[in-house]
Amino acid sequence: MTFAPYALEDLETDALTELVNIGVSRAAVSLRKMVGSQVTLSVPSVEVVGRRAAVTLIRERESDQLVAVRQDFSGAFSGRALLIFPEANSLELVRAVTHDELSGQEIVDIEEEALAETGNVVLNGCLATMANILQRPLAMSLPQVMKGDGQILFELSEEPDDNGVVLFLYINFAISGRDIRGYIAMLMDLPSLRSLKELIGEFIARVVGAGGGDG
Amino acid sequence: MSGRAEAVVMGVERGGVPPEIRALCGPLLDTLIQSGMPLTVTDHRRPGEPLVFANPAFERLIGCGFAELVDLPFGFLAAADADPGILAGIEEALSADRPLTADLRVVRKDGSVFWDRLRLTPVVDSLGATPFFLWTHCDQTLELARAEVEAELAASRQALTNARERARLAQAVGGTAGAWEWDVATGRFYADARFAELYGLDPVAAGNGLGTDAFFESIHADDRMRIRIAVAGVMHGADIFSKDYRVVGRDGTVRWVSARGGADRTADGGVHRFRGVLADITEQKRVEEQLRVAQTAGGVGTFEYVSGFGTVSVSEQFCRLLGLHPTRALPVRTVNAVVHPDDAPLIASLDGSNPGEPYREFRIVRPDTGQIRWLAQRGEHRRDGKRDRDGGQGAGGLGGGVRAGSRFIGVIYDITASKDAEEKLRLFAETLEARVEERTRERDRVWNNSRDLLVIIGADGVCRAVSPSWTAILGYDVNEIVGRQIQDFVHEEEVETTAEALKGAIHDQNLTNFENRQLHKDGGTRWISWNTSKEGDLVYAYGRDITEDKQRADTLRQTEEQLRQAQKMEAVGQLTGGLAHDFNNMLMGVIGGLDIVRRRIAQGRLNDLDRFMDASMASAQRAAALTHRLLAFSRRQTLDPKPIDINDLVMSMEDLLRRTLGEQIELRVTMAENLAAARSDVNQLESAILNLAINARDAMPDGGILTIETGRATLDRAYTIRHDGLSAGDYVMIRVSDTGMGMPPDVVAKAFDPFFTTKPIGQGTGLGLSMIYGFVKQTGGHVRIDSEPWRGTAITMYLPCDGGESMVDGSLIGTGETPEGAGEIVLVVEDDESVRLLVLDVLQELGYTALHAAEGRAALNVIESSSQIDLLITDVGLPGLNGRQLAEIARRRRPDLPVLFVTGYAANAVVRGDFLDEGMDMVMKPFAMDELAAKIRGILENRHKERVGATPL
Repeated sequence: MTFAPYALEDLETDALTELVNIGVSRAAVSLRKMVGSQVTLSVPSVEVVGRRAAVTLIRERESDQLVAVRQDFSGAFSGRALLIFPEANSLELVRAVTHDELSGQEIVDIEEEALAETGNVVLNGCLATMANILQRPLAMSLPQVMKGDGQILFELSEEPDDNGVVLFLYINFAISGRDIRGYIAMLMDLPSLRSLKELIGEFIARVVGAGGGDG
Repeated sequence: MSGRAEAVVMGVERGGVPPEIRALCGPLLDTLIQSGMPLTVTDHRRPGEPLVFANPAFERLIGCGFAELVDLPFGFLAAADADPGILAGIEEALSADRPLTADLRVVRKDGSVFWDRLRLTPVVDSLGATPFFLWTHCDQTLELARAEVEAELAASRQALTNARERARLAQAVGGTAGAWEWDVATGRFYADARFAELYGLDPVAAGNGLGTDAFFESIHADDRMRIRIAVAGVMHGADIFSKDYRVVGRDGTVRWVSARGGADRTADGGVHRFRGVLADITEQKRVEEQLRVAQTAGGVGTFEYVSGFGTVSVSEQFCRLLGLHPTRALPVRTVNAVVHPDDAPLIASLDGSNPGEPYREFRIVRPDTGQIRWLAQRGEHRRDGKRDRDGGQGAGGLGGGVRAGSRFIGVIYDITASKDAEEKLRLFAETLEARVEERTRERDRVWNNSRDLLVIIGADGVCRAVSPSWTAILGYDVNEIVGRQIQDFVHEEEVETTAEALKGAIHDQNLTNFENRQLHKDGGTRWISWNTSKEGDLVYAYGRDITEDKQRADTLRQTEEQLRQAQKMEAVGQLTGGLAHDFNNMLMGVIGGLDIVRRRIAQGRLNDLDRFMDASMASAQRAAALTHRLLAFSRRQTLDPKPIDINDLVMSMEDLLRRTLGEQIELRVTMAENLAAARSDVNQLESAILNLAINARDAMPDGGILTIETGRATLDRAYTIRHDGLSAGDYVMIRVSDTGMGMPPDVVAKAFDPFFTTKPIGQGTGLGLSMIYGFVKQTGGHVRIDSEPWRGTAITMYLPCDGGESMVDGSLIGTGETPEGAGEIVLVVEDDESVRLLVLDVLQELGYTALHAAEGRAALNVIESSSQIDLLITDVGLPGLNGRQLAEIARRRRPDLPVLFVTGYAANAVVRGDFLDEGMDMVMKPFAMDELAAKIRGILENRHKERVGATPL
């Protein structure tokens, strides 16, 4: 679902998808080190929607309570990144990253910490990689775990304006044979999206210009 | 074909709904007609349920104009392959007057056949009968075709599954998939024969290694950039390469391929090798595309739900139908949340108790617009325990571990339009009764409050319904009238005319202001003016009570009668005046004569007294005769019937008559010879003839012929029986006829009434004919009138014949001698001989020379002569030329001639001022000799003064 003012062209969407793919691949490497087993992350698709539509969309698709790890970023493009799981899935993720060695109660006890750490690895890896490839510095805040519905997650705390957009990045986790699905959501205002769009354009020019043989 | 049905058809041809149906259905029908839903109306009262209305939507549906369809029995719809069971069902519903929904194979004009979802609704009228059926039609072919689409979809899904399976197998078994290896360090790209075949590369060259550009060159231009970016992603660290794209073979064929690969990395994360496998997924893509097109075009959304999963695999069209963002998987809760709270959830738990219905309809509340839509769901429940989900496309269940269970594969599609039509129809049917009731109430208000008599009469003349006004106007309770013949309440004298009128009204000749008397319960009657209109087999009659109008008309007539009576009384006054005039003349003769006698005795002139005595006597006798006539009028006279020779009488009257009639009227006398003597009173008969002659004269103001004839007449029994007191036999007849203006029959009928007159007030007493009638009747005779307007009038007196005896003749009193005079010359014109004699004598005594004339024309001869005339003394009331006219003519001859009018008619005095010019005076009868002498002297002296005064000039 795209909207004219902040639409990314198909190619830009593909490129962004690849950028995030690269990012989560890096994060997967980090997770692999953390959990010591095969971890695959992939991002099959990207959607750019208005903030309000994002609330509707997440509500349509996720009827359960959600858990999110939140990190704000600032730089050439600023905003907030969220790694979102259905609440039921978050324990599964925690169980996966803790090698199924912990009891139910122990998992509940460390759930938040584990989620924060996993989120940090994924989001940091993702955003840092993007910044790196886009050749712009990006500062990240500390991770924060939130629970609630889409409305709460997508509120940009300070600004009440609704001009912001949300980049929905669907993400599939495959950890220790478990399929876990989640989202990365990047909340940005329109100027940031415009900056991102420019940077993606530069990236496309670089890779295509280099004949795809970039080493 | 009945007249009514034709009327209905005509109504339609004028371009609208038959008025009868509109009257029943009200305005909602129009919205139905205009809703674009094919709609027809059939006449339920006629056999075969013939079509009487079809809207344009139906004409379009069936491809045939209404004119071609009208009056066809409903069965014309059925195609040859229509299910006889369904037809029978329709007929059953029709005969039971109940609604029905049925799918019938219907044939269009062009022969094509479609599934028509018929909805029949009886249209009920206020009496509870069903005069019409309303049919809506809906082409269900598309909807039923959806069932076929559904079957196709199932097949397609299977094909898709198979294709995917093949692709998966192809990828697993290297032999059917192509493989590549991209050596990043050397920048070389190697591929096997299968890859080379798909990419259209030379297999040997590919095996030996090509430049990495070869990886992109065969890719379809639209996909190439996308793949370059994806490969760049791998080179920058992305773990997975998974893309579907098109490649163009050497022969130009385009094939879809699915490339799956990854990077072999060095310890520092750098890319060492990029390799993967390539599978041909053209067939899969084609099926997917077909599926997508089928879903989009048919508006059909597909879904697949595996028992126990939290999500449902859906198609994008499914999401669009539900008003959700297009995606491939949705949580069950999200899907069910869209469903209207009153309807069962779309995705039901598939445990054994609830296997899922194959077809159901439900409402949704679209989350995006809030709109309520109707959807239909069809599906199939499979218990194959197979998990057939493509986790790679993001459709993985959140439940994760569930591996087996029942599947429900289904489709949904929008049926709002059809439901709306159905709902409208249902509403229509539901509210029809209410609307009929409302209209009935409205009609009842008019019905109940009407001050006119309202009645609905069947063709059999029986009152079906009557308004309460009957009780108010005619006293009958409504129940006493309903069910009975209207004729039972009609006055017996009008039963026949009413029957005639009702017959006309039943045969479409609407009555306008037909008047009859209706019976009141109290035994009286009321005049009612009826208007009717016919609808169907019923006559609607509206009656207005005009009894009061009638009474007013009667009152008016009575008032007119009274006025006439008053006029008669006035005429009596006129008569009295006339009688006084006559009496005055006579008294003048009596008194004047006696006066002279007295004077002469006083003077000792005793000779010649007899003359004056005789004149006085004659006057007194005439007064007595007048009294007789008055008595005759009152029929209390003493008649002296004697044998009379009618011919002699008429002859003796001839001179008098000629004088009376004047010059303009020609008198013809025709007498029968050897006429038998009649028995009558001679004076009365004379008077009657004179009266008739005067009437005849007055009827001929411009002149004409007056005929008097005598003869014998025989009245037979057939004639006499119709006339009271008249006996059959021979009569002597006297007929007086004129060529005047005649009388219309209504005047003739009243001609003998006392005081009846056609003359202007003052010109006649109205006694003449009635006196004649009274007198003739009293003597056993008969009078008849024959008259025709503008042709003339004949009045015939039938007098009884006499046996013999000596007859009396009716000769009149003879004229007097002419006195001689001296000094001024005075012309005296006076028809009354006694008066004339007296005046002449006075003049003689006074020393005047008197000339005299008995009437105007004789006087004119004198005036027009050369003889000297110093004074004209004239009676005003002369026969023929009257005194006033005479004076006028005389003045023209002799402008200064003084005129002294003598009048016995008091009424003339009223207009004295208008009547008299300079040099004129008037003296009233009876007058004293001295008075007359003073007047004559005065008027002559005045004239003398004027002459003396004028001479010097």
